Amino acid sequence: MRYISKTRLFASSMLVSAGVFGLAIVANAQEATFVVSAQNVGTPSYNPINGTQLNDAITLIFDRMVIQDADQTFHGQLATEWESTADGMSWTFKLREGVTFHDGEPFNAETIVWWIPQFAETENAFMTAAIESVEVIDDLTVRFVMANPDPNLLSNMSSGFMSIPSPKAFDALGDDFGVTSAVGSGPFKLESFTVGQETVLSANEDYAWASDLSENQGAPHIKTLTFREISEDSTAFLELSTGGVDLLYSVPTDFLPRLEGEASVQVGTMPGTGLFYIPINTTVEPFTDIKVREATAFAINQKEILDNLYGGVGSVANTFLIDSLLAANVDPALKISYDPDRSTAALEEAGWVMGSDGVREKDGTKLQVALWTQNGTEFKRVTEVVQAQLKAVGIGADITVFDSATINDQYRKGTDHQLAVRSYSWANADIIDWFFSGQRLGYPNVSMWNDPKADEMNLAAMSGSRTWEERVANFTTYHEYVLSQYVFAPIYQPVQIYAYDKEAIFVPEAIRGTRLQSQTVVDITVN
Amino acid sequence: MISFFIKRLLLLIPVFLAVSLVIFMIVHLVPGDPIDNLVQINSSPEQKAALAAKYGLDKPLYQQYTIWLGNALTGDLGDAIILRRPVADLIAQNLPHSLSLGALALLFSTVVGITAGALAAIYKDSWIDRVTMTLILLGSTVPGFWLGLLLIMLFAVQLGWFPVSGARSWDALVLPVLTIGLGGVALVARVTRVAMIETARKDFVMMLHAKGVPPWRIELRHVLRHALLPVVTILSLRIGWILGGAVTVEFVFARPGLGSLLITSLNQRDYPVVQGALLMLAVAVMLGTLLGDIVQAAMDPRVRERIK
Repeated sequence: MRYISKTRLFASSMLVSAGVFGLAIVANAQEATFVVSAQNVGTPSYNPINGTQLNDAITLIFDRMVIQDADQTFHGQLATEWESTADGMSWTFKLREGVTFHDGEPFNAETIVWWIPQFAETENAFMTAAIESVEVIDDLTVRFVMANPDPNLLSNMSSGFMSIPSPKAFDALGDDFGVTSAVGSGPFKLESFTVGQETVLSANEDYAWASDLSENQGAPHIKTLTFREISEDSTAFLELSTGGVDLLYSVPTDFLPRLEGEASVQVGTMPGTGLFYIPINTTVEPFTDIKVREATAFAINQKEILDNLYGGVGSVANTFLIDSLLAANVDPALKISYDPDRSTAALEEAGWVMGSDGVREKDGTKLQVALWTQNGTEFKRVTEVVQAQLKAVGIGADITVFDSATINDQYRKGTDHQLAVRSYSWANADIIDWFFSGQRLGYPNVSMWNDPKADEMNLAAMSGSRTWEERVANFTTYHEYVLSQYVFAPIYQPVQIYAYDKEAIFVPEAIRGTRLQSQTVVDITVN
Repeated sequence: MISFFIKRLLLLIPVFLAVSLVIFMIVHLVPGDPIDNLVQINSSPEQKAALAAKYGLDKPLYQQYTIWLGNALTGDLGDAIILRRPVADLIAQNLPHSLSLGALALLFSTVVGITAGALAAIYKDSWIDRVTMTLILLGSTVPGFWLGLLLIMLFAVQLGWFPVSGARSWDALVLPVLTIGLGGVALVARVTRVAMIETARKDFVMMLHAKGVPPWRIELRHVLRHALLPVVTILSLRIGWILGGAVTVEFVFARPGLGSLLITSLNQRDYPVVQGALLMLAVAVMLGTLLGDIVQAAMDPRVRERIK
């Protein structure tokens, strides 16, 4: 008897173990863990309307009206068709039928009527500032009546900040929306969110409204998707190489050789949205002289930095905008590429003659300038190379390193800085307005550039364009003028590098959109 | 003993006030401000000014300090500007992680440190002493950040015994505890060793030997017990060090905790969170020191006499 019971116990425990093990395999087969980029660690909420910092999971919880492909063309997601009048004062959107939010609420024209006014008085108000009112044409058609033309409207609407939440949940949760819970219509539902640690999502099994950019038109293949937040890149890399996580959203360039040595790791790249550059303070000597600014800009050897610091990964920057933007297509003669002869000639013309110590002089004054940078290995390395390149043409530079939150305050003083190594991440030409508008001297206009002609062009580009084409043309003109005044020196355009465990998951080769977002994630399968 | 305790508690009030002022001033005098991190790239100066007013950052510093301190004394640490949650909630969410990490690291340093120190003292000048002291020297000089990565490389990557990072299971605590604890082991062992060697030279120990008490009993019951007084002092001071060490260790191991919260909030200049987290750390250090004093007073009547 005793023997039998022991045997039974053993057999049943084996069965239970096998069952649990089997379940574990099934569960494991549909689970994946992604690590958000280090710069997104500490994203406070999943509230698209008042959030100013969002991570990539936002596009999985919520849908947008339109989304972009890698070539920056727009594709419908919750909108199926759209058109604007020739004067840009009215936009009509046809909405997708049969869409429901995670709480079962329907998506229709009333949703849009409720949604647009939510932006008023929030940090993201500028996104919808040009929309005066929203009219319902029928249950699935809306018209935006514009206060002024906004050719940037589609670009704004494709941004994560214009993700559409469930009106009912949004109103019910108030300030807690995005913090304790978030309800959208996206391919994944938010299960839990611990700020700074992790976000757990589960597949929205009802999802049947993916855009034409996704192959999978149904529910996502991954059933449980965890987004972990890891600040230290080395730790994230070790997690990937030991199978602790399946995908890293962002990998620093200097990790590439190590990642490529890992048999199970696949590395991919996407065009970047950022650019490294040197703003030149146009209000302090010697940079009040455009010739000295020209000399500084042409002293920077972009190719050397690309090859030696980034191992050729990424591309050189010759303008202020990333290459994928149409307004980056400026007159080639205005592009700023390394030209030491031109740099030397400009300095000679400005009266700076080479001193015995390799630093130029004029009227007994040395051409010794301040070069600021922020902490972090990448910034320090780029700045040191820039210092050496400036020295090669006879400009001595003293490096000062600030922490990233401090340096903006220092710029605001306006008079202490001369040159700095900075970077930005923004995929829209209006970044020129942000960094060079005469309204924002000190910071963010670190170049302290206050030129009435430029501000006229700025106005035309920012609010005087009726159509997308007109906006591109206006920004191109503005961009060309900025380039001609040498108020900055372009350096480098990074690419976005992601890496994943190819034994654990399959990621489509072509990443749709400008980042790894819902349009691609719904197609990822677990091996 | 009770009057001693009350006196020590009262002494903490001016210390708390001074610490709160220093924390507030450091946080606010460091350049940079949270509004910059809060606004969108296209926001206007008016929007920024409105936000500053919303969070009371437009008021003079002394007014901001008195409002903050007044609220803090009633248990209200305010709302995070960037993280948009009550600071008390954020601390309540993270503090248990830091406390468990800190307590285990302290326990580890105490047990291993006293054992290693006692062994080194008992076998003074032998190979045991030399090996222990060499390891201790190494342990005390390796920075926590680097040690953490080394331990990950060895135990998580090469041997696969523990997870690389996170806080999803109990075994994820092992490497962080070792990283913080090893530095403490070195200190505790050194102090224990020196104190035991000094005690061993005292007259009463000579007498115990003369009376024929077995050496192991003298070492463990008499010498070690006497030598523990300075160890307790070191351990109570160590609490602050351990919580400070947790800041970098939580960062390397991507663990939740006050340290991770502090770093994230510091980078974004989220004043209320940084102030709240620093105040909690300061209170933990003060209470740790108080606990050390009480234990010391309980162990040594001379300490009680001094405070009287």
